[in-house]
Amino acid sequence: MMVSFIQALLDGLMVGGVYAVISIGLTLVFGIMGIVNFAQAEFLMIGMFVAYFLWSVLGLDPLVGSFVAFAVVGALGYVLQRTIIKRVLKAPAVAQVFLTVGLLIVLENGALLAFGSQLRSVSVSYQTLSWKLGPFFISVPYLAAFAMSVLSGLALWLFLNRSWFGWAMRSTAQDPMAAQLIGINTDRLRAIAFGVGVGLTAFGGAVVLPYLSVFPTIGGQFIVLMFTVAVLGGLGSVAGAVVGGLAVGVITSVSALFLPVQLQNLVLFLVFIAVLAFRPDGLIGSAR
Amino acid sequence: MTILAVSNLSKSFGGLHALSDVSFTVAQGEIVGLIGPNGAGKSTLFSTLMGLHRPNGGAVELAGRPVAGRKPHVIAAMGMTKTFQNVSLFTESSVLDNVLIGGLLHSGVAEARAEAMACLRRVGLTDIADRAAGSLSFPERARVEVARALCTRPKLLLLDEVMAALNTAEMDDLLGLIRQLRGEGLTLLVVEHHMRAIMSVCDRVLVLNFGKLIADGSPADIARDPDVVRAYLGREYAE
Amino acid sequence: MKRARNLLVAGAGLALALILPMAVDANGYAVRVLTLVLLFAAMAQAWNIVGGLASQMSLGHAAFFGLGAYTSTLLLIHFGLSPWIGMIASALVGGAAAFALSLPTMRLKGHYFALATLAFAEVFRVAANAWSSLTGGPVGLSIPYGEPSFLMMQFQDTRSYYYLALSAFAVVTVVFAAIKFSSLGYRLRAIRENQAAAEVVGVQTTKVKIQAAVISGCLTAALGTIYAQLNFFFDPDSVFAALQISIRVALITIVGGIGTVVGPLVGAVFIIPLEELTNVLFADKAAGLSQLVYGLLLIVIVLIQPRGLAALVGSALARRPKTSGAGT
Repeated sequence: MMVSFIQALLDGLMVGGVYAVISIGLTLVFGIMGIVNFAQAEFLMIGMFVAYFLWSVLGLDPLVGSFVAFAVVGALGYVLQRTIIKRVLKAPAVAQVFLTVGLLIVLENGALLAFGSQLRSVSVSYQTLSWKLGPFFISVPYLAAFAMSVLSGLALWLFLNRSWFGWAMRSTAQDPMAAQLIGINTDRLRAIAFGVGVGLTAFGGAVVLPYLSVFPTIGGQFIVLMFTVAVLGGLGSVAGAVVGGLAVGVITSVSALFLPVQLQNLVLFLVFIAVLAFRPDGLIGSAR
Repeated sequence: MTILAVSNLSKSFGGLHALSDVSFTVAQGEIVGLIGPNGAGKSTLFSTLMGLHRPNGGAVELAGRPVAGRKPHVIAAMGMTKTFQNVSLFTESSVLDNVLIGGLLHSGVAEARAEAMACLRRVGLTDIADRAAGSLSFPERARVEVARALCTRPKLLLLDEVMAALNTAEMDDLLGLIRQLRGEGLTLLVVEHHMRAIMSVCDRVLVLNFGKLIADGSPADIARDPDVVRAYLGREYAE
Repeated sequence: MKRARNLLVAGAGLALALILPMAVDANGYAVRVLTLVLLFAAMAQAWNIVGGLASQMSLGHAAFFGLGAYTSTLLLIHFGLSPWIGMIASALVGGAAAFALSLPTMRLKGHYFALATLAFAEVFRVAANAWSSLTGGPVGLSIPYGEPSFLMMQFQDTRSYYYLALSAFAVVTVVFAAIKFSSLGYRLRAIRENQAAAEVVGVQTTKVKIQAAVISGCLTAALGTIYAQLNFFFDPDSVFAALQISIRVALITIVGGIGTVVGPLVGAVFIIPLEELTNVLFADKAAGLSQLVYGLLLIVIVLIQPRGLAALVGSALARRPKTSGAGT
């Protein structure tokens, strides 16, 4: 029992690292623009498709393809922000919610039209490999995805804390007027932030491709999970998303020991509602 | 007869003591002024009295009944209500509908509407009952806010800077209204920045500074109190 | 004057609604679309109590709708209970669920409220899929086919269902209008505009919000029963659907005019035939195309009037004082 519990804990932490990265985008966009992007999970789906086709056409490993996925989806996000999202920045929450819901529908059904509804998966050499560590097993694809997530998390941290862009973004989030006065192009910055946000989510989608199949409606499986992670950590807090991601990974993985697989999501939803009810600003830190 | 008795009321936000051990009483039929520099805790005191903030310690009695820690609507039903510093009308509703809300505390819609008209008459605004509250001038807004409070049938009314943004003539009109309301039996506790207004209308003045009550006396005494002059009046009176 | 005119317009509209199905085939496609228009208008009107009057953006009304469909249908299957009585049971269950949801979400605003309600409905979708012994799981439930009768809410022709939906819409609209102009309506508007100011003049925020939520939940659940009877079949993913139910009813209300009495009908008359049209035009060509068009329309509607949705919120309110001025 103890062994299986620790095994679940390990699996949960590894999966949770990925959850953190895909949710950071959501929290980043909210932190900087105050927009809750209901379409965020669709960019995970697009990232998976990009990585899948890079593998099937060029034979590129999804872990390598993840960088391309980041770039492609990041560019898409940049364009979407500059053309569509920016128009509702000052609009009421109702308009923002429905715009991103519209985007969700368009992206999901666009993918359905383009790729059909079948499941696609890659095959890579390490797919079923696992290392034995005492009584425990470390799944290699899990570990690889986790390592890539840690890497991208670190890169983002450097980007936000050590680069001019990061500084400018934080200034824009705090006081857009003042940011403009000191010469920051806030429009472009928001677009970059949105691009980085959805790009990271796509990156996270690509690195899980070795152990998950991709299909157009896969976003639906991740949307509440991502919101749970983001809200758990406090919407707008990047550090919070990391803790939230690991927590959600462990919760789903450990609850699988006691509950049938269909009910795992149920636990997640209940955690989500409870967090919203008692700590709407997240378990750690405060929003924005 | 004492209508409001506040003893050792304290309120802190995080580590910041917004109110420390504030004690005072207000007698039936009085007009009491509450002054103090910005950030002294005047609005916090009103919000805490009304139950919008939960006090950390101390007691508040309204006509002999304890109210500290109760919900705002309960306190309103017991006979105390307040207006807001940045006039907080329901801007998208009509003037009449704004005032009517107060009447719903004790009557149905039809009766509340009649009572709201009566309250508008008391503050001299019957002719604009159907206008959108958002379209009013500052003096009109202040009066609508007072009318809404009156419609709850209060014994004690807390006025939080209703005269902000008014010119001298408009202020005098409003002071007239305050005296008239007292004449009708209401007790008032008034926060105001304009010293002249406070000095001319109040029977008694309380002075808050850094969350502590530093003086309590007649307007003339307050104006001479060295602590008060140091904390607050010096600059204001110099202008 | 104004009131008389409004009643006249309502009467004319009702007369038109009554004779409209006579003009088309009793079992045809047109009657079915009209029935859906009215059913969704009714659902949007029920949502309007919470979303419009209390201004709480619920994205979880599918929870009540689905509970309503399951409650009456399970009572019908296992106990042969008439759906009319089942509908009352559904309303009670829906009201109880709305009460339960109100407690943790009471203090949430804007996005947070939307997210919490969305997750709430998802809980039911997942649970209904998992709890197969009760709900039939993903297979869904079918209404036992019997001799058509009013008592069992089963009819020979689609036209009868149309009148059922019309009655439901009329009932929900009357409830909405009654609330809007009652003390509850005044209190809800006061809370929406300034909660603290409402509280100090005696409004019990918690109680008022719960009342609105429970009434809305009851009505939505009752409509779930009608949907089940109309459709003969449903599964967890159709009645507890976030997009097809929760978001759609909110969208209909917002497009039509949130907080207004006519908004939900206007929105439903616009959106439902539009969806049907895109389905007819594109559905056989490729799965997803009609949905894609629907999503694009959604984006376009928001973009043409980024303030439009809000303007609809606002104009309803800004117009009110003037109209009440004209009325007195």
